[in-house]
Amino acid sequence: MSYHRPNRGGRRRFGDDYDDRRREIVESPQERLKNIIIKLGEVDPLQEIATVEQHIRDLVPPSISNLSESFHIGVTEQPYKIPFYAALLRLLHNTPPKEDTSDATEQVSLGRQILEEFWKGFQAYVDKLMWRETRLCIHFFAHLVSAQLISADSFVALLQSFTTVLDEFGVSHGRAKRAALCAAEGLMIAGSTLTASTPTIPSEIINAIQAYTETTNSGKWIVQPIVQLHSSSVYVEIADELLDTALAALKALENSGFEGPYPRPYSDYPQLDAETFTPFSLPSVLVPPEVIELDGLSTEAEESEMKKEEWPEFFLRLFPDDVTPDPNTPAGYAVRTDLLAMIDIFEVNRKECARLLLEYPKWTVPGTFKPKPGAPAPEIEPLVNYEWQLESTLLEIILAASLILPESSQPHIYYTALITEVSKLSPSTVGPAVGKSIRKLYSSLADGLDVEIERRFSEWFAIHMSNFNFAWVWKEWIPDLELAVQHPKRAFMRRAIEYETRVSYYDRIKKSLPEAMGEPGAHVLPQQPPGPDFMYEDPTKPHHDAAQSILNLFRGRAKAEDVIAHLDTLRNTLEAEISDSGQPDNVNSLVRVIATQSLLHIGARSFSHLLNAIERYLPLLRTLASGGVTSAASTGNPEAKTDILSATASFWKYNSQMVAIVFDKLMQYQIVDPADVVSWTFSHVSETGIDEPEADLKAPLSLSTFEWNLLKAALNKAIGRVNIARRKLALLRKEDDENRARVRHMDVDGEPKPAESVPENPALNVALKAFSSLTREQKSALSRTLEGFISCLAPSITSAHPNPQAKEILTEHSWHNRVNWGKEEWSAWETWGWYRHFCRVYSPYLRNYAATFATVSFARFEGQSDPAIELLQKIWNVSTGQE
Amino acid sequence: MNVVQRLDQPSNYKDSQSRVDRRYQDDLLSNSTTLYIGNLSFYTTEEQIYELFSKCANPEDGGGIKRIIMGLDRNTRTPCGFCFVEYYTHAEALASMRYISGTKLDERIIRCDLDMGYKEGRQFGRGKSGGQVRDEHRQDYDPGRGGWGAQAQRLEIERRRQEVEERYVDAQDGPGAVAGGGEEWREVENSEGKLKRGRSPGDEGDNERTVGSFIVSPRCQRLR
Repeated sequence: MSYHRPNRGGRRRFGDDYDDRRREIVESPQERLKNIIIKLGEVDPLQEIATVEQHIRDLVPPSISNLSESFHIGVTEQPYKIPFYAALLRLLHNTPPKEDTSDATEQVSLGRQILEEFWKGFQAYVDKLMWRETRLCIHFFAHLVSAQLISADSFVALLQSFTTVLDEFGVSHGRAKRAALCAAEGLMIAGSTLTASTPTIPSEIINAIQAYTETTNSGKWIVQPIVQLHSSSVYVEIADELLDTALAALKALENSGFEGPYPRPYSDYPQLDAETFTPFSLPSVLVPPEVIELDGLSTEAEESEMKKEEWPEFFLRLFPDDVTPDPNTPAGYAVRTDLLAMIDIFEVNRKECARLLLEYPKWTVPGTFKPKPGAPAPEIEPLVNYEWQLESTLLEIILAASLILPESSQPHIYYTALITEVSKLSPSTVGPAVGKSIRKLYSSLADGLDVEIERRFSEWFAIHMSNFNFAWVWKEWIPDLELAVQHPKRAFMRRAIEYETRVSYYDRIKKSLPEAMGEPGAHVLPQQPPGPDFMYEDPTKPHHDAAQSILNLFRGRAKAEDVIAHLDTLRNTLEAEISDSGQPDNVNSLVRVIATQSLLHIGARSFSHLLNAIERYLPLLRTLASGGVTSAASTGNPEAKTDILSATASFWKYNSQMVAIVFDKLMQYQIVDPADVVSWTFSHVSETGIDEPEADLKAPLSLSTFEWNLLKAALNKAIGRVNIARRKLALLRKEDDENRARVRHMDVDGEPKPAESVPENPALNVALKAFSSLTREQKSALSRTLEGFISCLAPSITSAHPNPQAKEILTEHSWHNRVNWGKEEWSAWETWGWYRHFCRVYSPYLRNYAATFATVSFARFEGQSDPAIELLQKIWNVSTGQE
Repeated sequence: MNVVQRLDQPSNYKDSQSRVDRRYQDDLLSNSTTLYIGNLSFYTTEEQIYELFSKCANPEDGGGIKRIIMGLDRNTRTPCGFCFVEYYTHAEALASMRYISGTKLDERIIRCDLDMGYKEGRQFGRGKSGGQVRDEHRQDYDPGRGGWGAQAQRLEIERRRQEVEERYVDAQDGPGAVAGGGEEWREVENSEGKLKRGRSPGDEGDNERTVGSFIVSPRCQRLR
């Protein structure tokens, strides 16, 4: 069957265009008004408020629901416009002079009707726990309190219903954080009005948040961006924790009588007549409990969707306070809050997000940001003189949000793409801010910047550079080539170049580097492109002929069974050879390695070739994995699977990306299990270098980012499978329940049928079995990872290559002496970093097995006092919520 | 979201040769795990594509890159500037639309589009000379896409393609020519017969494709 027809040219396009035209709908007057309201202030916010008011009044009869919805969209999707929407609503509270005032309903202003309707929408957000919308509505209400439209007392009560959440027993950090921000930010905006009626409210809210944050210290310790192995205190020089900044800003505002940093366009309007006007009194609300937290009570807890743990959030600072806002100050906090909300809201369109971010200054109090160079002098006298740099502020906030530990709230690539867009819109002003941010992060690498932050930093760097011609001034880092080879700065350079090469190609990246970085001793750029290394390629190498015989079968598309049969023969031949030469080689293992490498060789041309090779020879791979050359067991043989993984790692030793890809597909096709990859990674960390010249650079028993990525891929594969199985099971359970209900319903005689009469759903049993076996596998992968880390960091005396530095580097003295650290010290340090990250990022899963794992892994240390063991245990306890 | 347009909506692009009706197409697209990627350089490799698109993969949710199908010139079996990336989940395809479409790969701005799913034969260009239709009509000089439009500078194209021309000479069409990438996990059975995936017996060995020594028209090429 062919799809190819001649003369298709443009005809089809015409059809598409026609369809699009047809779908265009004519805008109704209500739609048009909604758009006018949403677009409020795109040219001149202050001037447009009255114009939009007029548009609203002109459309009669008013549709209150349409108007309220428009305000909702405005407030929850464009938080920077909230003060202006408050002003608009204030104007709509004016009752225009009417000749006939006999009709009582005419007395209720349009604004009041909208507000009452708006409130219902807010109530719905709270009921559905839509926290962002809830918080932004509170911003709006706070401005309305300042504009005298809402009663201060009722707003105080609203804020109190959020501080109550902080006192809930066992409240999750995510819930507490969001509730605290609602109360804090409402107070920040409306503080001066609120204190007039309720003087105690600031201290009440501050104390509630403070009491809560004091309970979060160990959590802060495990997610702070600077690793301090020797100390359990929180290091605050380079980053600020979100709730701490809210507290600091609140305290500053309290001291200044809530002289807020917010635009208040409504403050110039005449006062409403106190005789006739009664402010709206917000009804009381109750913040409902989290759905998931209720779910925990259900009997099938294990089957319910895993909830991500939330931790305190540290935002890195990259610039001094006179360049970018300090979030501990009220004005700085307000700016960052707006920008973070925008980054979050416009995630669906990064291009528009970038444009809106660059336009942000127009929504702020004049003088907040430095005017654009060459822009005409502002018409309005600046009210403040912060003069922050917009581009640096944007870079700092986007990067900080992208580097939050253990995970950023959006996928990391979103922030990367957003920075690319911001840079594209204004290359000459954003470029320098990007450069300074990179230099600042790079310099922090020497001060203990977290390993996961370093990993994301190098990923961002590579993708960013690939969008901007790989133009980086590498030569300024040449002096750092003197540092120890595993120093984080050198590790960063290696990794950044490796990642750049992956999205580009070797010669292109080589050209972008100064000569010094291409030197073999620099260990920055590998000496050759990342190609395969087929062990038996060279005719002079042992077993070349054996490999050729297998390759010939593959090339001739021999059936898998025939290859398996050939391997049997080959094994006998090799056995004879080996016994002649007297080498103590394991012949089964040798056959597996030759066969695996040969298969990878025919699949080496591209990812698709790899998939074709694997798929064509799945029975062969399964036979290899089962241990015997003849097919036997199905679960495979650990030793055999180790051989397959080792053969892969050595075949692609110059290409870490391909190692990860092949491992991923070997897991996908169920040749190896995630737990096999975990075990392999820990038992081979000291053997396989990414690049041969670097093999000797590796310290014994330590993990670098390469190994961490393999572990992460294996753990995520195991977790992903459980998630798929869980969803499938939930679906089948639902179907099953419905079927049962139907059977009961059909039974019209009134005699309820006994439960057995409903046939068991065989699919449900299969799904249950799959779920439990995958859950077991997930548990085993996690437990082996924990064991692996312990064997690296607290090695037993009998272990093969203990790193003597794993314990030595834990003292404060050693840390301050880190300029003298060599590769072993830095390797040990990095391994500690990955252990810490493993515990905190997989904490929701680890918690499920905390008791079992602790018994298996930590009980043996009972009674021993050793700083490494204590730290291992402490990190574990904090991550699993036991400390 | 009312204030801005989402970037992860399917565009006007539709498989122009697909015969399924529009509503069914929309239905397929709203669950699609496949992306069409356009404006690639002819020299971009699957591994480069894998690296970039893996940034949107979410294995913790059961996702990942299932397979990549490189678009090939029907006659020369060399990449001709497009590919399909197939994920395991729809959410990953949407994420690529939001975060990758419109950014650079191999120093070209690439375009992603939700696709109804790879169908046999779609890996080949549909232009008269074997590549993509757009390269037939192109007037500009584009070094990443074989230089001048296909009607001119044939020699120049051949020279520049040397780097990649070897890679896909073995590319086939017909059922089973393109690997699946690995399906969902399932309980491993003991019997060997059940282990074998459903490949038709004709798949192995006997469908080696010999490229015709003369070509009457693109249509004949496909029908043979």
